[in-house]
Amino acid sequence: MTPDDRDPPRLTQPGPRVEVVPLGRVNLTAAHVVAGNLQALLGLAARVGEPRPDPEEALVANRGQYDARVVLEELAKGVGAPFRLGVTAVDLCLPFLDYVFGEAQVGGRAAVVSLARLGGGRGAAGVPREVMLERLAKVALHETAHLLGLTHCRAAGCLMSFSETLERIDRISLAMCPGCRVDLARRRRRIVGPDG
Amino acid sequence: MERQLSILVVDDELAMRESITAWLQKAGYQVAAAASGEEALGLMERHLYELALVDVKMPGMDGLALLEQVRRLYPETMVIIITAYGSIESAVRAMKAGASDYLLKPFDPEHLMLLLEKVGGQRRLLQENLALRRRLSEGECAGFEDLVGRSPAMLEVFSLIEDVAATDAPVLITGQTGTGKELVARAIHNRSERGFAPFVTINCGALAENLLESELFGHERGAFTGAVRARRGRLEMADGGTLFLDEVGEISTKMQLDLLRVLETKQFQRVGGTATLTSDFRLICATHRDLPQLIAAERFRQDFYYRIHVISIPIAPLAQRSEDILPLAEHFLDLYAREAGKVRPELDDQARRVLLAHPWPGNVRELRNVIERAVIVARGDRIGLAELSFLGTTAPATALPRSLAEAELAHIQQTLEAHDWNLTRAAAELGIDRSTLRRKLNRAGITRPGGGRR
Repeated sequence: MTPDDRDPPRLTQPGPRVEVVPLGRVNLTAAHVVAGNLQALLGLAARVGEPRPDPEEALVANRGQYDARVVLEELAKGVGAPFRLGVTAVDLCLPFLDYVFGEAQVGGRAAVVSLARLGGGRGAAGVPREVMLERLAKVALHETAHLLGLTHCRAAGCLMSFSETLERIDRISLAMCPGCRVDLARRRRRIVGPDG
Repeated sequence: MERQLSILVVDDELAMRESITAWLQKAGYQVAAAASGEEALGLMERHLYELALVDVKMPGMDGLALLEQVRRLYPETMVIIITAYGSIESAVRAMKAGASDYLLKPFDPEHLMLLLEKVGGQRRLLQENLALRRRLSEGECAGFEDLVGRSPAMLEVFSLIEDVAATDAPVLITGQTGTGKELVARAIHNRSERGFAPFVTINCGALAENLLESELFGHERGAFTGAVRARRGRLEMADGGTLFLDEVGEISTKMQLDLLRVLETKQFQRVGGTATLTSDFRLICATHRDLPQLIAAERFRQDFYYRIHVISIPIAPLAQRSEDILPLAEHFLDLYAREAGKVRPELDDQARRVLLAHPWPGNVRELRNVIERAVIVARGDRIGLAELSFLGTTAPATALPRSLAEAELAHIQQTLEAHDWNLTRAAAELGIDRSTLRRKLNRAGITRPGGGRR
């Protein structure tokens, strides 16, 4: 499957393109930070939707974590904005991975980001709140770009490079490399039109 | 040359298989999945996978049995065994049986990335090694540093480089802008006995006369306003090495006279200085201008011309050596993909045709820029028309020929254009005789636009 095969269909209806969904006990400010960044840096009209509980179907009891794929399936259900981005405070995992900071259906409808691990690192007390929110914004932008069909990039410092540790998230930029920027603009134009 | 790994995921558990596959695809890998060892071997018969991620516990043929088969039948495929925490002893057995590594479920993302990078690195080394061996054994593409070419014109240039490198004679390299004159000069220098001494370049066209003088000869402190300290000139810096004067056709006749004196005596003085300095350098000049014509117009000194063009190396424009276009494009693809740390994309057939048909007024430099840009905008592992759209090309799909005969004629015409209507070369590329090609053209009434055939 080439990246182009994963492109979602062209969207013609007006209105916000991304609904940021606060899940469970996540702080609403975090959802607003994410929506603002999507609008400012990806040029996608975004709004914060109604809070929902974390989907119980996704709980993996023996790991005390939530299966990110099941969360995405639940998020993708129902009508509304073409793209849904869940923001949760619970720890996410995949059947084969210890943990993920976020997950997305490449070229699909739903993505999710978790704050559970983003406050860690740099000593026992964790990091200041603004650092945590910047990490959250990076993961959210990265996962949303997956929704538009972008895959991982190997350019150093690019927002689309894979970040498996907090140190790597801190090292990457909020911006994309020139190649990903061109790709994003091309896909954005094709999928959501010039007005976001 | 870098392409993403081709990976086979073998796991009987659907959730594991699907989630690993999706995750690896998102990371840009080419991934296939099999639910059993038997299915995996079936897939491996049809496609060579560079890496197999194999779950150790499966009904029927288990992971260790599959590992054994893969080691025997496909030794170039690396195998990483996936085990649960409880079955560490099977991981040990797998390592003894030749697995490259093992992963404990659920994987630590950092560990998984490190493993994939390790496998990618090993494969890259292997490919580089193979490519080097192939180039050495087949002499597939005559290359001199960054000079790439297989056209008769470039092979002649390479042979001249070898010949003149052994001498100390001045060389004049001529050719249009962007043909790689400086690369030729560097190749001569590197192959000469002066190869370990400095290669000093100066672009005579880029500097005003007084600046050029001080750049070449150097200056003493206070020689002119702003000369707050003494400075060595390029002539001094080139001592023991090679001095490359680019765009030599742009320098004034007065400066030519000064240089002529230096060439004859190897002695000169800094601007504003009185001490006589000596420098032992080999001179290589380059120009895109027609120097005999400048001599006729009295804008270039004949005596200086004879002094600098003891040996002349003309470089043909890229349009006249279309055989070099694709090898150069492949060379730049390697270079820029490596520089950008991206997957090394391949040119598809349409892109190749577009590159062959383009007139390349900017020569190799233009081609290099085109490929650099295409590598930046390319997503995935292909460069097609979309990535070359800035060359002003349009998809031929918009005007596809209707019949097979029309398609044949369109292809013949495209090939002729690519070879500047040279029937011999076009026939060779089409894989037919020159006489067959001529007959086809006569039958279709095709003639060269605006002229006869070659």
